[in-house]
Amino acid sequence: MNLLTIFLGFLKIGALAFGGAYAAIPIVEKEVVQKGWITYESFGDLLAIDELTPGPIIINSATFIGMNMLGVLGGIVASLGSIVPGCIISTILILLYRKYKKLTILDNIVQALKCMAVMMIFSTLINMIWRSIFGSALSLATIDWLILAMAVISFIVIRKWKPNPIFVMLACGAIYLIVFGFIFPA
Amino acid sequence: MENKDSILKKSLSLFGNAFITSMTANSGYAIVSVLKNKYTQKHKWVSEEEMNDIVALCQSSPGPIAVSSNLMIGFQIAGPIGAFASVLGCIIPPIIMMIIVSFFYNYIITNRYVRIFMQGMQAGVIAMLLDVVIGLFMNIAKKREVFLFALMIIAFLYLRLFDLSIVYLLIFMIVAALVKTLIMTIQAKKGGKA
Repeated sequence: MNLLTIFLGFLKIGALAFGGAYAAIPIVEKEVVQKGWITYESFGDLLAIDELTPGPIIINSATFIGMNMLGVLGGIVASLGSIVPGCIISTILILLYRKYKKLTILDNIVQALKCMAVMMIFSTLINMIWRSIFGSALSLATIDWLILAMAVISFIVIRKWKPNPIFVMLACGAIYLIVFGFIFPA
Repeated sequence: MENKDSILKKSLSLFGNAFITSMTANSGYAIVSVLKNKYTQKHKWVSEEEMNDIVALCQSSPGPIAVSSNLMIGFQIAGPIGAFASVLGCIIPPIIMMIIVSFFYNYIITNRYVRIFMQGMQAGVIAMLLDVVIGLFMNIAKKREVFLFALMIIAFLYLRLFDLSIVYLLIFMIVAALVKTLIMTIQAKKGGKA
């Protein structure tokens, strides 16, 4: 593992992450977790940390993963890699815009890419539910009922009152800690 | 852009604003709306119409909206130097912040209670992602286009059934969009003649 590998890895992630902030998550899952650069557990933690800190998810993820692998320099190199493709394409687009003003063909491409993005996030969500709630097995014994209950209630709260998701997550963490850290310590 | 401010002065301002918005705003779109206000109302460096076009254009670029919007706004205001200053300004805060956070994470994650807390937070993450997926889905579904539903089904099946690179799916989506554009253009021409 060296800096060039990390740079190229995040260059690829940066080139594929079309369709808004959350689109980066499934690509990080596919490119980083499946390559074994970080564990699935750290990936789950990373998503929580992404929400707790400002800044784009892709840069946060790149810094976090790069730093976990090769220290501070790894974090910086990974972040720079993740934004290079976007910077190149943005530069081309703004130059085209200055020349031609309207680019109607892009609308159709953006729409198609959004269809892909939503399904990618959905797919990652299925993986998360499978691991965090079902414990990666189709059996009643491995279901984490508290996570399941908190996820359902959090979802209702988020849909109904639209609070900042940070508070919902912290509340879930606190409840889980009270129950499994203090009341029923394993 | 008949404004007399020099490129350097504009670039410094771009860097500063990018830096500050990147630290405070929590989404790419929030950043754009703050910057839009600054550059169209206060400085009058770009027109409101240009800003709206840039916001639309950002979506065609991969990676964070914050970076692509800052780059395009910076370029429009002060050329390549402005673009560079804006991008630098918007990436420094998250990188520094995550370096600090990652440092603490590695330090405290071995603690049993921290581990349990983080595990509990996954419930919130799942709920939030579900909310995001529904929001994005409704946005596409309200267009009521069979074409878009077909693309979503293809994308879902591809992702769940095959363990292949996303690159092929991305290429397929772009080709599908180009074919659709072609068909629309031909139909528009036919309609025009009739």
